[in-house]
Amino acid sequence: MADPTKKTDVVVDQGNKESKRDWRAGMYAEQQREKRLAVLTPIVSLLLALVVGAIIIACLGKNPLEGYAAMIQGSVGDLGKLGKTIERACPLIFTALAAVFAYKCGVFNLGGEGQFIMGASAAAYFVLTLGLEGVPAVLMGLVAGIVFGGLWALLPGILKITRGLNEMITTIMFNYIALYFMEFLYKNVYSDQGLPQTPAMPKSAHLIDVGPAHLGVILAILAGILLWYVIFRTSFGFKIRAVGLNPTASRVNGFPVRFLVLAAFVISGAIAGVGGAVELFGKTPFRLADGFGSGFGFDGVAIALIAQLNPVASIVVAIVFGMLSTGGTMMQSVIGVPTAIVDIIRGLIIIFAVAGMAMVKLPKVKAFITNLSNKNKKAEVTA
Amino acid sequence: MDFMVALPTIVKAMAMGAVPILLAALGEVFSERAGLVNIGLEGIMAVGAFVAFAVGKVTGNLWLGLLAGMAAGVAVNMIYAFCAITLCSDQTVTSMAVNILAPAIALFGYNLFVGSNPDNATGAQMASIAIPVLSDIPIIGNGLFDQTLLAYLAFLLVPCVSFFFKRFRAGLSFRSVGENPQAAETLGINVVRVKYLACVVCGALTAAGGAFLTICYTPIYTDGIVAGRGFIALATVIFGRWSAVGVMLASLLFGFFDGLNVALQASFQSAPVMFFKMIPYVFTIIALMFFGSKHGGPKACGKPYFRESR
Repeated sequence: MADPTKKTDVVVDQGNKESKRDWRAGMYAEQQREKRLAVLTPIVSLLLALVVGAIIIACLGKNPLEGYAAMIQGSVGDLGKLGKTIERACPLIFTALAAVFAYKCGVFNLGGEGQFIMGASAAAYFVLTLGLEGVPAVLMGLVAGIVFGGLWALLPGILKITRGLNEMITTIMFNYIALYFMEFLYKNVYSDQGLPQTPAMPKSAHLIDVGPAHLGVILAILAGILLWYVIFRTSFGFKIRAVGLNPTASRVNGFPVRFLVLAAFVISGAIAGVGGAVELFGKTPFRLADGFGSGFGFDGVAIALIAQLNPVASIVVAIVFGMLSTGGTMMQSVIGVPTAIVDIIRGLIIIFAVAGMAMVKLPKVKAFITNLSNKNKKAEVTA
Repeated sequence: MDFMVALPTIVKAMAMGAVPILLAALGEVFSERAGLVNIGLEGIMAVGAFVAFAVGKVTGNLWLGLLAGMAAGVAVNMIYAFCAITLCSDQTVTSMAVNILAPAIALFGYNLFVGSNPDNATGAQMASIAIPVLSDIPIIGNGLFDQTLLAYLAFLLVPCVSFFFKRFRAGLSFRSVGENPQAAETLGINVVRVKYLACVVCGALTAAGGAFLTICYTPIYTDGIVAGRGFIALATVIFGRWSAVGVMLASLLFGFFDGLNVALQASFQSAPVMFFKMIPYVFTIIALMFFGSKHGGPKACGKPYFRESR
């Protein structure tokens, strides 16, 4: 261990320079601490949510450990189940990325579900109308998904920058409109022999399997990495983040704030829309029907918030959500607790995560944490 | 369709459709007047709807169900209140989290309640009371004055709330907390207590709005029964300029579109009904487009209140 007397000598010798370095080290330590807390908070909230879930299961007179074992068995027990879990997570990755990008620009886009549905509806409509097959069908579908998802987000975007309408309300309203529009498509326009569903997409247009899951999962992960690069490593992403943090300062700096906000809407919608198209071509039953995309928008919002608006972390959180969903079915069949328990656990994760993130920012708690780590350091030095 | 024939149906559906939105919007007025934006109305309504339905069914007393629903709404809103007031978290994000958790609780409860006994699927309905003379007015009488007691109470609440905010010291201190909490604190108002109180009122009223759906509107609970009414109520608050009377007029307008949808569905059964179902949502956007305001609303709304900050 270093000799304490020697250290004081150095400080006396170099005086000013050393104290500056000390101050820098302090800043660095604080950043490290914040980073560690940012990773720790979601993990702790997941564990807390699982504990509360276990208490609820125990209150129903069932064995929670058995339930959780069934959940793990049912979600990652073998390769086929793992593939199902990842495929379940795939649309959530897209809607979560859509939410992340919008929130980075300060746009609270709750319309992920509507944009997802419009993307899928446009893809289905064009493929069925033009009678496309194979690769052209997939490409057409993905482009239609991007365009119509983006358009569906453009509308609330225009309403926000021209009339100042709160996007939380308008995007939700557009969700319901998209839902009924899809219903019109599968009940009236392309009904499969009078049933409330569209015909299945042509077999040649189904996304091929890569390992246990379909190609769309790779697309989702690539989209996440690309989005991370755009947000954190390009000047466009920097401007988007700047508008999100302080629109007034951005405007004073000459950033085209309104254009950037609109871009955030459109790109966010396009990501959700392409997610809808991927879901349509990638996952059985390869058609639009009642319940398609239901709840994916809000799940995406939840994932984005738990992942602290980090695109790469969103992928991980989305897979955890996928595990909860596929595992929940298994848990229901083994211990007979309704799958809605999984929804409660998901809701608890986000509540705990939000509360935890707010808590560590409170002045008192912050001081406490700083004290704690300083004490640890002192203990290290004296030891 | 003969408009005059359909008019009584529309008026009736309008008054019915307006009540849940009105109750939730009044709750939000309390919340936003105290500087708390709460977009979790949708979730609180779902919990209120389910609990009122279940307790009403088990006890056979719908008023007990309503009270239980309101209590559950307050309990759920306390999660939001604790995070937003005590922990100073982002209000929008927190209430969005409540919006995700609360319907899950309701769905879980429903699965347990009906899963154990399929007879529980249909609950009881509150009887409507016709007001003697007024309900005989042609066209509008039957629609407006043949409602359930809960609906009358909801409309009676409007002048009370309006009076409370304009004439009562407590109402004025509510508003001051929403406009400038620091100044309110220097006047000796306990800002944190007022904010918690606002959350209690907001939770109770919003849950009552949800309860109306299951004990007056339809006798069943389904997942997604609230169908965006919580968010329409948020639009109503903006549209009604944060005043009780304005909110009532706005919710009647949104109720009218709901009624139009019901009447059109009944008249044109062969037409694609989805387009009628879109009407309330489309008109919410259009109404906001023309009458929504960029400014207005309590000044400190949405900002967390740190007591120590300057």
